[in-house]
Amino acid sequence: MSGGINLGIKEKTAEHLARLALFCFLAFLPMIWQSQYALGLLTLMAVYGILLIGLDATVGYLGQVNLAQAALFGLGAYGTALAIQSGLPFSLALLAGVMAALLPGAALALPSLRLDGPQFALSTLSFASLAVIVLNESESITNGALGISVPRPLFFSMELDARRFYWFCLIVLSAVWWASGLLFKSRIGLAIEALRDSPTATDALGIGSLKHKAVAFAWGSSLAGFAGGLHVMNFGYLQPSAFGYDLMVILLLGVVFGGRRNQWGAFTGAAAVTMLPNLLSNRMMFSVFVTLGCLVAFTAPLKALLARRRPAFSESAPAAGMALCFALALFVPNLELWRKGIFALFLFSAVVGLPEGITGALVSEIRNLLRFSPEPLPAATGGISEPAPSDTAPLRTRNISKSFGGVIAVRDISIATEQGEILGLIGPNGSGKTTLINLVTGLYAPDEGSVEISGRRIRQGSLMAASAAGASRTFQNLQPFSSLTALESITVCQRKIDKPAAMALLQIVGLESKARLRCSELSFGDLRFLEIGRALATQPSLLLLDEPAAGMAKPDIARLIELISSIRDYGITILIIEHHQDVITEVCNRVAVMNGGRLIALGTPEEIRRDPLVVEAYLGGEETVPSSGDNHAILSC
Amino acid sequence: MNPELLAYAQMAVSGGLMGMAYALVAYGFQLTFAAGKAVNFGQGELVMLGAFIGLTLTGTGLPYWASISGAVAAGAALGWFVEKSAVRLALKQHNEGWILLTIILGLFAVSAAENIWGREDLPYPAPWDDGSIDIFGISVTWPELAVAGGALGVMLLVEIAKRYTMTGIAVQAVSADPDAAELCGIRSDAATSLSWAVSGAAAAFAGTIIAPVTTVGPTMAAALTLKAFSVAVVAGLDSAIGLVLTGIFLGSAENLAGFMLGSGWRETPGLVLLMLALALRPQGIFGKTIIRKV
Amino acid sequence: MKAFRSILAFLVALSLPSDVRAADVVKIAVTGPFSGGSAPMGISMRDGAKLAVSQINRRGGILVGGKKMQIEVIERDDEGKNDRGALIAQEISSMNDVSAVIGTVNTGVAVMGDKYYVQKGIVKIITPAAGSASMTQWSRAGAADLPIFRFAAHDGIQSRMVVEQAVKLGIRKVAIFHDDTNYGVSGRDDLLFQVRNQAGRLSVVDIEKFAVGNKDMTGQLIKARMAGAQAILIWGIGPELAAVASGKKKLGYNVPLIGGWTLSMSNFIDTAGPAGNGALMPQTFIEDLSVARAKPFIMAYRQAYRVARIPSPVSAAQGYDATLLLAEAIHEAGSTQPSKIKAALENLTGVVKGAIADWKKPWSKWSPANEESHEAFRRAFTVMGKVQNGRVVLADPADRAVLERGPGK
Repeated sequence: MSGGINLGIKEKTAEHLARLALFCFLAFLPMIWQSQYALGLLTLMAVYGILLIGLDATVGYLGQVNLAQAALFGLGAYGTALAIQSGLPFSLALLAGVMAALLPGAALALPSLRLDGPQFALSTLSFASLAVIVLNESESITNGALGISVPRPLFFSMELDARRFYWFCLIVLSAVWWASGLLFKSRIGLAIEALRDSPTATDALGIGSLKHKAVAFAWGSSLAGFAGGLHVMNFGYLQPSAFGYDLMVILLLGVVFGGRRNQWGAFTGAAAVTMLPNLLSNRMMFSVFVTLGCLVAFTAPLKALLARRRPAFSESAPAAGMALCFALALFVPNLELWRKGIFALFLFSAVVGLPEGITGALVSEIRNLLRFSPEPLPAATGGISEPAPSDTAPLRTRNISKSFGGVIAVRDISIATEQGEILGLIGPNGSGKTTLINLVTGLYAPDEGSVEISGRRIRQGSLMAASAAGASRTFQNLQPFSSLTALESITVCQRKIDKPAAMALLQIVGLESKARLRCSELSFGDLRFLEIGRALATQPSLLLLDEPAAGMAKPDIARLIELISSIRDYGITILIIEHHQDVITEVCNRVAVMNGGRLIALGTPEEIRRDPLVVEAYLGGEETVPSSGDNHAILSC
Repeated sequence: MNPELLAYAQMAVSGGLMGMAYALVAYGFQLTFAAGKAVNFGQGELVMLGAFIGLTLTGTGLPYWASISGAVAAGAALGWFVEKSAVRLALKQHNEGWILLTIILGLFAVSAAENIWGREDLPYPAPWDDGSIDIFGISVTWPELAVAGGALGVMLLVEIAKRYTMTGIAVQAVSADPDAAELCGIRSDAATSLSWAVSGAAAAFAGTIIAPVTTVGPTMAAALTLKAFSVAVVAGLDSAIGLVLTGIFLGSAENLAGFMLGSGWRETPGLVLLMLALALRPQGIFGKTIIRKV
Repeated sequence: MKAFRSILAFLVALSLPSDVRAADVVKIAVTGPFSGGSAPMGISMRDGAKLAVSQINRRGGILVGGKKMQIEVIERDDEGKNDRGALIAQEISSMNDVSAVIGTVNTGVAVMGDKYYVQKGIVKIITPAAGSASMTQWSRAGAADLPIFRFAAHDGIQSRMVVEQAVKLGIRKVAIFHDDTNYGVSGRDDLLFQVRNQAGRLSVVDIEKFAVGNKDMTGQLIKARMAGAQAILIWGIGPELAAVASGKKKLGYNVPLIGGWTLSMSNFIDTAGPAGNGALMPQTFIEDLSVARAKPFIMAYRQAYRVARIPSPVSAAQGYDATLLLAEAIHEAGSTQPSKIKAALENLTGVVKGAIADWKKPWSKWSPANEESHEAFRRAFTVMGKVQNGRVVLADPADRAVLERGPGK
């Protein structure tokens, strides 16, 4: 770690102070810089700030390309304009704007939330185009292409002049900023981020997905509506064509340029979107700006060349983009004509070269320069909670089968566990072990048969139902919540946030010293332990471990064995898939062996080791039996 | 035939013929999606560039067929460039950056076209007569027929190449399983690049055949991308025949909607169809049912 | 880090006071869409205005209070977008040293932005935006005093001429076609109003709308034909108008196409080709070298911008003449102050020899009851033009006298 200057304050405090300073500066700016134009720009920037904070909810936190925000902004503006026309007061008119965006947004959300990636982008793009058509065609309501002019209503019998209106927008922006920060640091916000990183894990851990997607989308849509209301009050005139694809692209790129998952980023994006057209009308300013951009963009590839290394694409492409911009600045007589092209070049360079946006790059720069006092961690209390004792088997499958196409992965398996036992599940690769766990946890629906967890029958193929019944799992291929810290990964899985208990769980899995690290910074082995901690945080009665020791170093395996035994001591039933012989022999009460999708043996580890069928499955009929002393014997072929 | 019915038939036929152009652009999506699970959100801009390049080449006195070949070659180069510069890295990092980057490249293409060729819509000369022929009272123009014929021809050609040439089979292998294909000695990166080049060529060709009908301008294809998406999503991304049928259906539906509800609603069938398809069959849209693996 | 610093530097630079008034310069702003769909009009208007400015500057400038002052032009591209236009209006009106503004093509931009000029009392001459709303918004609001003037044959005049032309051709049933923009929809309303004024001599049998960018008008034309329309009255801009003309040809539907002055734009004439022949439109100016008055302007424009034909001749000539009128007003006011220029524009005493006409007191004192007081064009000096083989010619050769003589008031 580089040294840096120690400020002696917490990062959070520093951020609060910086934000306070920013808003004071913005509030006083119209006093120093007395110009109607400046006021117009600043007001637009504040409105766009609100809009982009909303857009960041879906594009940043949810990680989906949302192309409907401009249309929702327009719907909000029309909602407010029509409300003003029908004589509603200031606050109700704004509320009407929010509703006008929120309700159609909800209608869009219901089908779209199941979608990901390009499908989500397309669905929102269609919605946006439809919304503009409807606004343009409903002449009797919206006056169509002619547009509506509305006066700015009185604010509780006070007339807001341009400057007061700007201050009002600033206050709204700061409130929205604060609320958004709060929302995305709450459990819901953490769940939204977890959802982006691994939807499978959030489902399997019972964190839920649709609900949180809906919250993010609704929050984003409401802000779009709110911003739309302020927009119409600012300009006093509306036309449907203003809310088309052009605006959408600019907004989207604003968020990406500024930096995602960060209100500072949304604000920076808003400032950039507002200022960019003015940049082009001043040639000297533009040249200075482009030259600086070139210097920044060329450092990375030059460094690479000095180190005698071919620059990576992400290093050379921004340089190429900025060089092209530089050429335009030199040779094009009228830059205004190239507005879109220059905008595109800037964005291309930013998206490729600064994936975290301007603020993302800046924040890591600041973290290098300055040192902050760490957030205090809560003291650990509590820990693993014991499930209520019960007579029913924690897990019972009845004749379940599953096939993919022509391949029968699991056939006719019936097993039952007793409370507080560790049942090992072994078998060669491709014998159907993971498929069985996927069936038990509801990731797949069985073709035949049924699954009961603690006596509750699991609905066909529902991860959430299995989780609600008390099953919790880890994954063979890790499913970390990369953007959350270790502590947050635990708290997001708790039914109710309980930081001391989460700290205790981290202690149990041996990660208390890494509580503040992001999952993306943790080692592979740490992530395996964290997954167990995460699963325990849901207070399961049945824990399913899918190859927890895979890829682990020897000392870690010893720790793992200890951990698994201690979890069992709390009365939690464990089903474990494992290839490491010593893990199986040391912790399992019983072992089930699968081969070719069938259960071929079930018994104590000792019995299993002598079972001729098992020996044949593993060794193809050889007479020697793997000895328990061979620590590294990996049974699979 | 009764004049009202004839009018409907006329609308359906002209729409259906233009719908083939949607199918051809959608076919470009199909090719790149099969190769790398990505599509070009700026495909419409490639259509536009293809038309402009064709126009410029025709202006230099080249014969029609030579100028179209030039445009197709340029389209292939552009498609290849889009994959290299906007898609490859983002897909390797498993993020949605490629959606943004293809939009950004499209934006740059529009700006460049505005400055190179001007902002005006220009007529595109075609060797065939611009008159119309009359079939049972329905008038059809030669340029419209050329759109339908050209689209069908190109799709047929590519489908044959995919099935019966070694390269085509290798590309199909990569789309089925890139890792396995690598193990068999196929360079999956090269196969993906090839798919994008063919997709770009198809888009450029689409530009040269629709331009005589719609004229050429920087914004000529703004709406085309979304329509092609509708066709691709509704038809699914497996069958070329599905694309043609959906394209014809969508083109006719648009024209009839404009005719019956007023022209402002012309674009709605495509949009509604797209949203319905996404809402009702999200799993079946981009490829077959996806099995989640953990 | 560096990027952030330069943004900061930019912000600081932006905040520096910009009202350091250069002593010997008159600043005027020219705004309009120089990119996007209506760019041909915006660019022609701008280039016409800049042509006038360069001619004046070459002669030493405007004589203001005994001192020759050069004109400096500030250009702003509003992209035809309303909120961009509103921001530009705010920018220009807070520059403090801009004497007047010329421009605007899109009526929506005027509706959204002109209030900022009015608040600051800055003179604006609207040209070539013809939509009625840009002036009626002020008469409706009852503004007592107004620094906004228009220099264009507004849609009220144009629609009246279009409807009269249809009657003159002996047509009884018409279809109205219009695009889905502010311009098209307000044109439709003006046309409907004028048809009502014809007291039953004309009936509208069909109204069809088309979207900007739509190139297939078959549906609309079939409906018009089914309704029995004998002529199409049309309000839109170039490319879509051309699509209507081509569609008519395709369907063999040979009825007159009569519309606003946009039918004279090159992007209609070129794109429609032979199908555009015979289209009729009101014209304040025709790019015809045989008209002695227009010739010097046409030659100068073609030479200065190296074009064989002006993209939108009407916009160019109006931009040119509006600038000459403004220069005369600044001279007569003897000041660069907007309030004095406004007064001078309302009481011009000199005769300005422009490309369109010899202008004598085109405007008068603003009266909210009569927005004609700030309109320069009258029915009497607008003629009907006709597309013929790639050019606009006079529909009625007898009108040549109007173009040569120019309007007297």
